[in-house]
Amino acid sequence: MAGRRAVITGVGAVSAFGVGYDALANGLAAGRSAIGPIRNFDARTFPTRVAGEVPIEKTSASLLEKHRGVLLHVGEAAAWEHSGLLRDRKVCFGLIAAAEAWRHARCGTAERKAALSIGLGLEQAFLEDLATALDGDEIRVGAGDLAGPEGVRFRSRVDLTAEKIRGVLGLSGRVAVHVSACAAGGTAVAHAASQIERGAADVVLCGASDSMVNPLGIGGMSRLGAPSPRAEPSACRPFDRRRDGLVVGEGAAMFVVEEESRARARGADLLAVIAGAATTQDAYRATAPRPDGSRALAAMERAVRRANLVPSDIGYVNAHGTGTPLNDMAEAKAIHALFGDVPTSSIKGAVGHLMAAAGAIELAACLLAFTRDLLPGTAHFEEPDPECPIHVIGPQPLKQRVEYVLSNSFGFGGQNVSVVLGRPR
Amino acid sequence: MRLDGKGLPVIAVSTLTAAGLAGRGLAQRVLEGGHPRPSELAAPAPSRPEDIRQKKLMSRAAWFSALVMRGALEEARWNEARAEIGAFFGVGASGAEMDEVARLIVASMEDGQFSLARCGREGLDACNPLFAFQIMNNFTLCHGAILEGLAGPNAAFFSRGTGTVTALEEACAAITSGACERALVGGADTALHPITMAELEREGFLRQGLTPAEGAAALAITSTAEAPLGYVEAVRVFPVERPRGTLVPRTGVLRDAAVPAALDALEDQPCDVVVLAPWGTPAREALLDLPQVLEAEISVDTSLTLGESLAATPALAWALTLDLLAHLNKPRALVLSAGPDGDLGVVVLAKGGA
Repeated sequence: MAGRRAVITGVGAVSAFGVGYDALANGLAAGRSAIGPIRNFDARTFPTRVAGEVPIEKTSASLLEKHRGVLLHVGEAAAWEHSGLLRDRKVCFGLIAAAEAWRHARCGTAERKAALSIGLGLEQAFLEDLATALDGDEIRVGAGDLAGPEGVRFRSRVDLTAEKIRGVLGLSGRVAVHVSACAAGGTAVAHAASQIERGAADVVLCGASDSMVNPLGIGGMSRLGAPSPRAEPSACRPFDRRRDGLVVGEGAAMFVVEEESRARARGADLLAVIAGAATTQDAYRATAPRPDGSRALAAMERAVRRANLVPSDIGYVNAHGTGTPLNDMAEAKAIHALFGDVPTSSIKGAVGHLMAAAGAIELAACLLAFTRDLLPGTAHFEEPDPECPIHVIGPQPLKQRVEYVLSNSFGFGGQNVSVVLGRPR
Repeated sequence: MRLDGKGLPVIAVSTLTAAGLAGRGLAQRVLEGGHPRPSELAAPAPSRPEDIRQKKLMSRAAWFSALVMRGALEEARWNEARAEIGAFFGVGASGAEMDEVARLIVASMEDGQFSLARCGREGLDACNPLFAFQIMNNFTLCHGAILEGLAGPNAAFFSRGTGTVTALEEACAAITSGACERALVGGADTALHPITMAELEREGFLRQGLTPAEGAAALAITSTAEAPLGYVEAVRVFPVERPRGTLVPRTGVLRDAAVPAALDALEDQPCDVVVLAPWGTPAREALLDLPQVLEAEISVDTSLTLGESLAATPALAWALTLDLLAHLNKPRALVLSAGPDGDLGVVVLAKGGA
């Protein structure tokens, strides 16, 4: 619909730096890394033993209610504790980030019609529960084994986080749950902007939440060979010549996105304009990205075009930059082909790869470009790789004023999304 | 979303149900009572070398999806420039092979108890390293896109109903905005996975008449076509209010929501056919009066024949409806899906010239 623009008016985040957007912003501004030993479960015998773990030892309803402003109805806290739904950490992270974004944007009753567009990760499977259903060499699951209508046992439902956010915030708009793996967060934000631009919504709460810091998540990634084999905080080295794999992270980032004129009319603070976005598919292999980066290049080209910009308008690229040999090489080729030596960084060395929430946390990081004139650094980047011919910002952030930034997220399975954010005027 | 002009042309459909893999003809089988009862599908086995290789990485629903994507592409004769074709799908829960999970668990047991330490040492090694590609939800979209070379705009939406309708809406938005000119859109899922079945039972759906099923459907949508099967005129998702903490709205609330939703989508246009896809008895009761209110001549309840296959249900209903319009020579139909996610998905389809 002509003239409608999507703007970000609120942000909330949970990451290895801690709970709250300020924790993320301050950690990145200081050039720190928050990777450390896994504490959520005993990982001593697991191939991977470090992660970007949120410093919350036990997710609980009381934690939500008392410390993070997530208001539950009478009896709801006890019901949630009993049901076990918070065993899936991403439910807790998503609620915290959503509540923070809502408060930050100073949303009120009028915003309760908001739609929800959220990227979520794989259902968490609880191995200890599945073990109780072992019958010889088969697993036999019956309804009686599940703990009541809302009980979470064996597996949490994909859309559980969305359902709880909708209920707790009292949202009456439609819900879309994106499951595009590592591209889900970026796709959810792109979808929110698209809804606003075409007049399907005036306000959308969007973003993503994920946690794979659990035995099956960490174990599954290890079996794929994706994580770095080094059990040290510097394990993830995006674009570095010595890079050898990713670090699994967890957390959430949520945004309130509104139609610009509406946001201005109610006096909201504008954090960024969502100027354009585009998605492509590698259509190459299940197990590897397209080596030439051509479909990633296409996503970036189209996002820039949809923003009515040219490549030279982009002042910073937040790369997917997983720290894996294949991704970084392919992505660097694409960035170089389109942007030349634009300043580029990946924050995955600092917070890990948040999987479905990666794109969302990285968009939150991009806001530093407009709120503090800081371009986030690339933790543990020390040795440039000739195979990645791009201008990689080192571990410390770069002080530079830019008008537009682009953020990439590329998912397992070849789903790519690029989002362009602009400085609000 | 209401589409301009006649709407967006649909030039091909492909379905996979208990009756097998097919293009058109689903409506006739349903109307004539020739469609088998919902059950586990005997999906065609892979025959091409690339299929055989990739199927090892697939969940059941991913294979369903790949089959209907291929079927729709073939019927549409979309052999050129596939790198620009979009793909938008409603997908379901993780489809992990329980045998694979069992191997991991068995190797992690110590003195009759699950041992985390042993899981790390031995359990993981007992697990197929490619297991992750079976359980990631988005691979229900990605496997088909990879096999068929669909590299355009795409999105995978988790769906227990309206996620698939959102996929259709996004496909239409992608075409009307110029992001692509052609797209496949649909859904694939199974409600027969042991854990999914257990969840549906625990949530009370099975005892209230949900018939678990599995299947897939894909539509080929394009910006222009001379003689399409039909047109997508409107796509809407209507959230329905429910008490906090409940999964679906009360029957009366759903009933009260359905009529305004239908009228809103139709925008005063007449409707000859109503196709309903209620998840079970309460939803069916809520929608019972809708055809009469809309003064529709014909009403079909797809769930009675096809059962409930979660992410696949709305797409199967659309495919059936396009068949129905052609078969009965009726100009317009409203398709309303009310799945276990509790919200309403409404699609208005018009007869094409094919």
